[in-house]
Order: sequence, then C-alpha cells, then structure tokens
Amino acid sequence: MPGMPTDGGGAMVPFSGEPGQASPAPPPVRHIRHCVAPPISRVFISWSSGNLLQVACLRQPSSEGRGGVEEVGGRVVEVNLGAGGCGGVEVDEEIDAAEIRRIEYGSVPAFALLQSRKNALTEAAAMSHAPSLSEHAEWWQYVLEYSKTIGNLLGNPDSPPAFTLEDPKTILKVGEKPTSLRAAWELLEMFFVDKQLQGWLPECLVDWLDDFDSLLSKESTVYSNLSSFQKKLIKLQIVEDDPDYWNGLAAALSVGWLDIVFSLYFHQTENGLVEAVAVLVSTMPRMRPDLPSGKLGQCCKTRPDFIKVLYKTEVSYLYLQAWEKWRGQVNKLECSAFWIQCGHRKTRDGLKKLLHILMGNVKELTAATSHWLELFVSHFLYIRPFTVGFEGMHHLAQKCIELKPSSGTNGLTDLLVGILSENPEVVLAECTNNFGPWFVTHAMELLTADNDYADMMLHEERPKFGGISIEELHRIVYAQVLCSHSLTWQVSFCLKSCNFGHLIRVCEQTLEICRLYELENVSTNIMKISGIYHWKHGRKGDGVYWFQQAHDKVRLDRIAQQLFERIGKSVTDDSFKQWEGLLELLGSDIGSAGGLEFLHRYVFLPANSCLFMAFGFTFFPITFWYRDFKRSLQQAQEGRTGEAARQTAEFLIQVELLNCKPKPLLNVAETTLLLNKLQELSLAKLHPDFSSNHLPSHALNTVRLALASNLARAILEE
Amino acid sequence: MADNPSFRRHPHPFSIDLVRWLPSSATSPSDRLLAAAVHDPSVASSYIHLLPLADPSSPLASLPLPSRATALRCSPSALAATTSTGSLHLAPSSSFDAGAAVAVSGGAGFHVGPVRGLDCGGEEWVTAGEDGRVHVIGGGGDGRVVARRVWDGKGMAGYEAAKWASPAEFATGGAGCGVQWWDQRKGDAPVTQCSGIWGHGLVTGMVHSIDIHPSRKHICVVGGSSGTIFAWDLRWPQQPIPLSGIGLHGIVQPVCESEVWEVLFDTYTQSSDIISSTSARILPVMICSEDGILAVVEQGDERPLELLAEPCAINSFDIDTQNPSDVVCALEWESIGVLTRGRDAMAEE
Repeated sequence: MPGMPTDGGGAMVPFSGEPGQASPAPPPVRHIRHCVAPPISRVFISWSSGNLLQVACLRQPSSEGRGGVEEVGGRVVEVNLGAGGCGGVEVDEEIDAAEIRRIEYGSVPAFALLQSRKNALTEAAAMSHAPSLSEHAEWWQYVLEYSKTIGNLLGNPDSPPAFTLEDPKTILKVGEKPTSLRAAWELLEMFFVDKQLQGWLPECLVDWLDDFDSLLSKESTVYSNLSSFQKKLIKLQIVEDDPDYWNGLAAALSVGWLDIVFSLYFHQTENGLVEAVAVLVSTMPRMRPDLPSGKLGQCCKTRPDFIKVLYKTEVSYLYLQAWEKWRGQVNKLECSAFWIQCGHRKTRDGLKKLLHILMGNVKELTAATSHWLELFVSHFLYIRPFTVGFEGMHHLAQKCIELKPSSGTNGLTDLLVGILSENPEVVLAECTNNFGPWFVTHAMELLTADNDYADMMLHEERPKFGGISIEELHRIVYAQVLCSHSLTWQVSFCLKSCNFGHLIRVCEQTLEICRLYELENVSTNIMKISGIYHWKHGRKGDGVYWFQQAHDKVRLDRIAQQLFERIGKSVTDDSFKQWEGLLELLGSDIGSAGGLEFLHRYVFLPANSCLFMAFGFTFFPITFWYRDFKRSLQQAQEGRTGEAARQTAEFLIQVELLNCKPKPLLNVAETTLLLNKLQELSLAKLHPDFSSNHLPSHALNTVRLALASNLARAILEE
Repeated sequence: MADNPSFRRHPHPFSIDLVRWLPSSATSPSDRLLAAAVHDPSVASSYIHLLPLADPSSPLASLPLPSRATALRCSPSALAATTSTGSLHLAPSSSFDAGAAVAVSGGAGFHVGPVRGLDCGGEEWVTAGEDGRVHVIGGGGDGRVVARRVWDGKGMAGYEAAKWASPAEFATGGAGCGVQWWDQRKGDAPVTQCSGIWGHGLVTGMVHSIDIHPSRKHICVVGGSSGTIFAWDLRWPQQPIPLSGIGLHGIVQPVCESEVWEVLFDTYTQSSDIISSTSARILPVMICSEDGILAVVEQGDERPLELLAEPCAINSFDIDTQNPSDVVCALEWESIGVLTRGRDAMAEE
C-alpha cells in the first residue's frame, strides 16, 4: 500500500531496476529531517514549484493528551532536487544556470517574431496558393535575422574587451570567452541559413575556426600550442633560434591566422627572404567577397552585381587567375638563389617550412596542425580552395580524421561531421545530445529554413510519439525544462499544470497566461483553487474575492451560510467591524455570483434581525434594503397575520436610519400604517402566547420614535 | 517593440522582485543608488541589494531577508522592506548593513503572511497585510521601533497597498475592500471607502497599488486587477474617475488588460492640457503591468504614452524624485531596466 512506511531499512518504496538490466545504478537517496516523532502514519508527496518536492509527514492523531506536552502532529518539508536548467552535458560545464536562463528569456521575442512571421506567410500562402514556406524569397532572410539575434545572445567572440593594452608580446587576441553554444549555432547558420555564404563556405570555416579553435580540445590545438608559446615568448631573446617559434608560425599559417603570423614575424631579424615570405603571405588570394579589417590576404574584388548574376563562374574564374599567379610567385621564391645566401640555418629551414605550407605540402600541413579540423581547414586554404560541395567536404573530413586520429571528438566536431554528411537526423541528434533542449528547440528553425527534407522530417506526425511531430516533441521537452524552474516557468509556451505551493502572485501570472491563450475554464479553476487556498489560510476576504471572480456560486452559498450562522450566534459591534471587508465584497451587486442576493433567503429568519442593526445601514445597498422593506410593508398592509407585523417591526429596528436621511423614506400613510402595526405588535407582546425574544422593548421604542420623526418630516414635506 | 535607445537592461542571476531609487545627495547622476529586492529560488534566499546606477549588476551592499520581499520603500532616512512571512525590516540609509537594521518579526504579534502595503509618512511607517491587519510603526524613542495595531480585519479583508496622504491620513486598498481612507485623528477605523470602478464589466477587483500626489492630498490614484486604473477624489467619494479600462464611449482600448502592479504620479510628463488643468483634473500617472507595459496615462486621453512594451512582466518601477526623467523598473526575466527620458522627446509634445 503506498504511503505506508515499512519497518525494514526505512525505505518507503522498494526500488527495483528496470527488467532486463543487469545491475541498475543505485537510486539517489536523500535524507529528510522532518523532526516528527515516530510512528508516522502517513506521508504525502507532491511537487511544488520548480524542482521543489513537498513531503508531508503526519502522525496518527493521539486521542488522549500527554500531560500537556504539545507534540508535533506532522510537518511539511521541502526538498530541493538539484539545480534545473539545461540538460546538456557540455553546456553545464561552461555556462551557469543564470546565464542559461538569460538566454532562455532573451530568445523569446525573436522566437515569437519568427513564429508570427511564419504563420503570416503560411496563411498568405494558403490564400493565394503560393509556394511553400521555404520557397518564399523573404523567408530565409527572416530566419537569418532570427539567427543573428539568437547568435548575439550566445556571446559575441568578436567584441573587443573594454581595455586593450597593446603588448607586442601578446599574439593571441583577448576577447569574450567563446562558448560551444555560439560555435554550434554559427555552424548551423553557416550551412543551413545564410545563402549569401554559400560560395564562401571554406573561408567561413576558416573564420569559424579562428573564433572557436580553443573549444575543440583542451590539449592539442593550434590555439593551445600558441598560448603556451606566448608564455615562453616573453623570456626569449633571439626567437629564430627556438624551434617552437617556427612551429608556432607554421601552425598559425596553416590555419590561416595571418595576423598572428605577422605579429610573430616582427620578433625576428629582418632579411630579404623573411620579407619576401611576408609579402607572399599578405597577398594570398582569399576565396571570399570581403575581409574584416585587420585580416590579411587579397579577397576577390568584384562588383556587387557580379556576385548575384555571374557568381559561380565569374568569381571562380577571377579567383583562379589570382591563385595561379600567386602560386607562381611562391614557386619562384622556392627556386630562387637567395636561399643559399641565408646563413642562419634555423631561419632558412623555418622559412622553407612556411613556404611549403603556402605551396600546399600535405606533409607539412599535417605536421603543423594538431586537430583534424585544423588540418581540414588548412586543406581549403592551400590545397583545394575550390572544394565547396558537401560531398567533397565530407570525404575530406573523413580523410583528415584518419590522418589525425588522436584528436578525438566532441560535440562540435560531431555536429560538423553530421552537417557535412547531409543528414538532418544526425544533426538533430548531435544537437540534442550535446547542447540541450533550448538549443534544439531554437535550432530546428535553422534546419528547416531551406531544407525540405528536414522540414518534412520535423513536422511529420509520428504515431510513435502519440501523433505529435518531432518538432512538437522537442518543444514540449523544452517547455518541461522551463517549467521545472520557478523563475522560468511562465516562459513555457505550453501551459502545463501549475501548482500553488507558493502563491507569490503566481496566481495572477497564471491567469495572465490563461487570458493570453483564451483558456477561460482553466482560469476559472485556478481562481477557485486560489479561493480555497486563501479561505483555508484564514484570509476569508481574499477567498470570497476569488470565488466571486470564478463565479463559484456553490462555494459562495456555503460561505454565506457559515457567515450567517456565525452572526446569529454572537453579535457585538467589534466583531461586525471585522466583517466589513467581506460584507463590502458580498454587498456589491455582482449579479448571480455571490452578491448579497443570498441574504433574501435569510432575511426573515429571526436570527438575522439584528444583522441590520449591527452592520449599519451603510453596508447594505439602499436598493436592496428598500426593496425588501417595501415588500414587507406590503405584507403588513395586507395585515394578514401578526407574524407579518413582527417581521415588519424587525425591519424597522433599524429605522433609526430613517433619521439619517435628509428626506423621509416613507410617506404619511405608510408611516401611520406602520405605527399602527407597531402598536399591534407591542400589544401582542403582552399576550402570554407570544414568544419572541428578538424584539426587545427598547428596540420597539426606538422604532416608534424614529417613525414618529419620519411622520413629522413626511407631513412637513407634503 | 522597437528598442528605445535610452533603455538599458541589466541582467541578474536571480529574480528582481522590487526596485526603488534611493534618495541621495549625489550630485553626479552616475553616483545615484538603487535598492532592489532580489530572490534566488535555487538556494531559497532573499536580499535587499544596494546597487550603483553606473553598474547595477554588482551590489555595493546587501541585507538578508528571512523570506521573499513583498514591499520595498525608501524614505530620506531609511529603507524599509516587508516580506511574505509578515516581517518588516528597516535599514538606516546612513549605514546599510545587517547590524544596523531593525526588524519587526512576523507572527501573531505583527503580520501573518505577505505584507504588500508599506509606506513612509514622515516619522511613521504604515503596513497593511493580506491578513487584514494594519499597523503604524514609529520610533520608540530609544532606537527601538514600536508597532501599533490600528486595525485587525482577521482575514475578512486582505490589504495589498498602503499610502500616506499626510502625517495623520493614509489610504489602503486590497481585495474586495476597494480603497479605504484612514484618519488617525478620527480613531482606528476607516473613515470612508470606495469600491472602485473596474474594467471588463466587473464589479469588484483587487487593488494592487495606490499613489497620492503630495500637492493634491485628496486624490488617490489606484491600480488593480483587469487593467484597472482609477482616481478617487475624496471630495466626490462616490464617483471614482476611470483612467483606463473604461473609455468615455466604452470602446476605448485600455492601456493593458492584465494586472496593474504599480502606479505613481509622473511628475515629469506635463499634462497635455495645461490650460484646463484645474485641481479637478488628475495629473499624469505612470503604470507598470503584468503584460509588460510601462505607460503614462492621463485623464480623458485616449492614447496613453507607452514607454515600454516588454515581452515579460514589469513587476515594479520607480521614478527618481530628484531626476524625474529617469525611471527604473524590475523585469520578470531577472533583470533591471533603466529608462532615461530625453528632453527632446518632451519638447515635441
């Protein structure tokens, strides 16, 4: 039976591993300090907000008191089940939870904008039988805009630090620390979204590696080699004597970091050969439309309209020409006689090595680079600058992995291989495994931007997932992650079950979500729950307020009954003052849902006669009061029973209030009639059979006096 | 939703529940200070942070609170906060540290549950809680603070807001009870009250915030549920004046449709109708809302001036009394927003 503690070992529920698994990992055990003395009869467990679990431990209520010693009957303990946030393994290491939340918040507007644009385009397409979404001219630009916004959110590796001291010994740039999320996002943007980049993919990868090389591996990358050499550089006197200097130069050159090559170059003694190599490096043709300032090389200078029209052929042709010419110059230098004149052997060998890299010597490139991805990029720079097809790139990647098997894999390289293999399933799986639910949810938009197969794969309804698509599945997973944290739960696009452990304005927030999504019945339920919560905690006014908002007639009626039973029991001025707020609520003319209308049912109960007196006139809407009064007056006029007269008098107990009004409430005839009835009543009181303790004689006297003064004013008025 | 160039967001690693300007003698605008009530659910801790305006991300000092802050106010001499467990914490502005702070702990003797109504009126503070209790807190003469219970509604009415009008008078508001006016010279009970005027055809709603202009003490401006903003003039207590939610012809789009969390008279915005701005006219009012709107509304003006339309809720805001062009707000998504209104923008109007 669940909830019953077993005696052995203190385990609540026996844990058994999944069937078929040999040795299940032991479940994490948490100890709870509940300070409730045994025996505990019941344990309740429920989810609170975020990752909080509420555990209530209750004792059996003991029938006899234990000599005045107050024992704790039970206690509710909150258990925080670890930090929430992104589930990505790699992500957690470098970004803390607050940073992830910042990304989650920041991505909402861009995501929402893209979705609304998508809906608008889809609607327009449906109206005019226009081509599908991915064929829309603007669509990929919308996605690109979205991608750039999200990319900026993930950190900007190009942003310069606040202060830069120009230190000649600093060769590596100091910027914002690159993140895997940003690196992965840029890869997807480059290959799936940005159509302008399609001709320049190899050079894009060069730039990408420049920004994110440090993320590829902790031990062996060009970046790590250069940063360890940078430490050494400070102590070196004559750099060209050190083999690490030439290795560093070769490494930087092989991955195309020409600016670093140049900053290293300034450290050595000038000679003709050094200068000649420098010129060749700086005039290297680059297969790209432009170069950011500070970068070296010669880009293809074409007129802008060229790129659009004759993009494939003309640009390639121009580039090819420049490349052939430059290669010719490199070869010429290689064969020149200057090498014999160069006396410094290490300089000569080093420069030869650089020259061989420029000439695309596979052996030198493999030696200079550390990671297969670096080798891959160096191929584009120096061996096959024209390889742009995915298939060719994929083959090359496989070859590089074979050449540098030790470099290992990580999320980014796996993602790149997945992209090159042109397999959206693999890409999606790599994203899911490495970068967490936030990334997958937002990256799916990039995958489908211009890829019909991915679009179909993600949007196809899958019976295996209960009829939802893969896209929806990932969104639900992401929504669950958001819901599991108390600060982000309202971000979740899917409204999931909310809980009410912490009613710190949670109710209003939830109602706001309901309002936006037109979930009226959900919001009514939430209001009811909120009403019960407040009522249970003694905040009766708030409780009634929420019941009224929810139009919960049943509960309001129950409350009304309680209210009147209580008032019937004891009436003091002070206790009624406390009811003021509640009466104000109930007194408002709210229509069918819990106004004072229910009072009509109680009005003629003897216990309530004093109600009016105690509440005072002001708390009752005049219309309500007067209508009932008139009805009762009518009955009195018809004069059928002494009972009617008594009821009238009960009403009249508060006719003192007649005095408050500047105008008489009753005309002369009515007042005379009432005075007569009052006389009858006071006579009836003398009768031994009359039983009513609700009409004290002083009250009758007050009524008589008030009626008399009303009569006087009524006569004056007439 | 175009980003205003004069609006800056400062992300924090925890929830910012409330934010206020600290009254300061700083001559340079960048030396000004902010007070923010923050809450970190991962470690269930709550603080008041003292933040420099120049860099609101790094607190200068912080005061721990026993639970999440529900109200935060600054007076020239002290900073006060109330919490969701009914306690009040007063820190002198001269020395902002845990040692110098005085606290009135929550419980049967003070408040039980959240206290959202808090205001400073000269020497005394007023608190009004969801438990229906109203307290006036003053100095006991020997450095202690003494809380006097003005009223105990025993939960029959719950208060959400409190605001002093004069050293003797204050207004409270909450669920169902509308707005109530208290005059300490006339005893410990509300003098008069107003159930308010609510949007969406509702007859009742919840008051979240009240403000009273120092020069027009007979007018309360009230913000509450369902996008309601109305003014209550004590001279005509039965006729609250709608400022939003209900247009003159009943079809005007309200400024916002969700909870109006805070209202403040905006001393910076000039009334659009200066000639007729008699004492009967309600001065411009700034509001913040659950649906992310920060706007200035004016009586009879059908087009409110929308300052911000954020994708997340704006929980709290404050106008700098010394530089009323500057507004600071607490955004739901763990950040503080600082809005600077330019002089040029105002000249155009």
